[in-house]
Amino acid sequence: MSAERIYRLLLRVYPPAFRAAYEREMVLVFRDQCRDGDVRTLGFWVRVFWDVVRSAPALRAETTRTVEVIMKLAAILTVLLGALGILGAMNEWGAASQHAGAYLLAIVLGVAASLLLVGAGVAILRQKNQAARLAVALSLVCFVAARLLFPWMSIFLQLIGFVVPVGLLIALYWPRKSSRLGAA
Amino acid sequence: MSRSPQKQPTPESFLPVPPATFHILLALADGDLHGYAIMQDVAQRSEGAVRLGPGTLYGALKRLLEARLVDESGERADPERADERRRYYRLTPLGLAVARAEARRLDAIVRTARRKKLIGARPA
Repeated sequence: MSAERIYRLLLRVYPPAFRAAYEREMVLVFRDQCRDGDVRTLGFWVRVFWDVVRSAPALRAETTRTVEVIMKLAAILTVLLGALGILGAMNEWGAASQHAGAYLLAIVLGVAASLLLVGAGVAILRQKNQAARLAVALSLVCFVAARLLFPWMSIFLQLIGFVVPVGLLIALYWPRKSSRLGAA
Repeated sequence: MSRSPQKQPTPESFLPVPPATFHILLALADGDLHGYAIMQDVAQRSEGAVRLGPGTLYGALKRLLEARLVDESGERADPERADERRRYYRLTPLGLAVARAEARRLDAIVRTARRKKLIGARPA
């Protein structure tokens, strides 16, 4: 098998759109490298493979925009969980026989936390990350206060109230890219 | 209905420029080049320390084209290599401004390192 044929096989690792735009040019450059270097040496092929391993995954990630898709799904889930939290709090209110002060405040705080979660989800969908961070942090504060006032809260509600905001805060503060021009 | 004008990115918004990408901008600062000529220029200027492969080179060129720091200046055959026509690339005014801004940024770092005697001073 010729060196060029092996290289053409390696190029299949790259995203189809990238290949359509640059395959011909890359093969021309590879031909130049073969002409000016020694294609029979191990070092030559190590450099070729290393170049593919280094560049192809980043180009694939840019094409699929994995992070954006995950963040959109997380935002939709947040809106749904927030709405579920509001319904849960309203249900709690209806089921309660008497509305004592601390209990009432816990429900109000729970509704506020859920509303803030809904707001955070909408903000993420609209790519307003600063507003989303603020809403998530406030939701967490409201929820912690509600939990302190009402320690018998269900495990499910605690999961929504703690795990979702903490996970979202980590995702929203996670550094995305060091440069607009990629990592090359 | 009139559309609002697209906001022009500032050169500083592209900083820091990744090292391989900065080498490509430096190569294109001398004029239009095709892919292999860029690779050769980078290898020569860095005395072999930086060797761009085709994947790294065209991945970076794709991003530079999308960011409008570089554009294509047509296809023609390389006079030194009588073979197929090659795509040539050139710096845009924004690309030149980004290269200058990155050079200034690196210069400031080097000056700090020199002031702290990390470089430029003779070892004891």
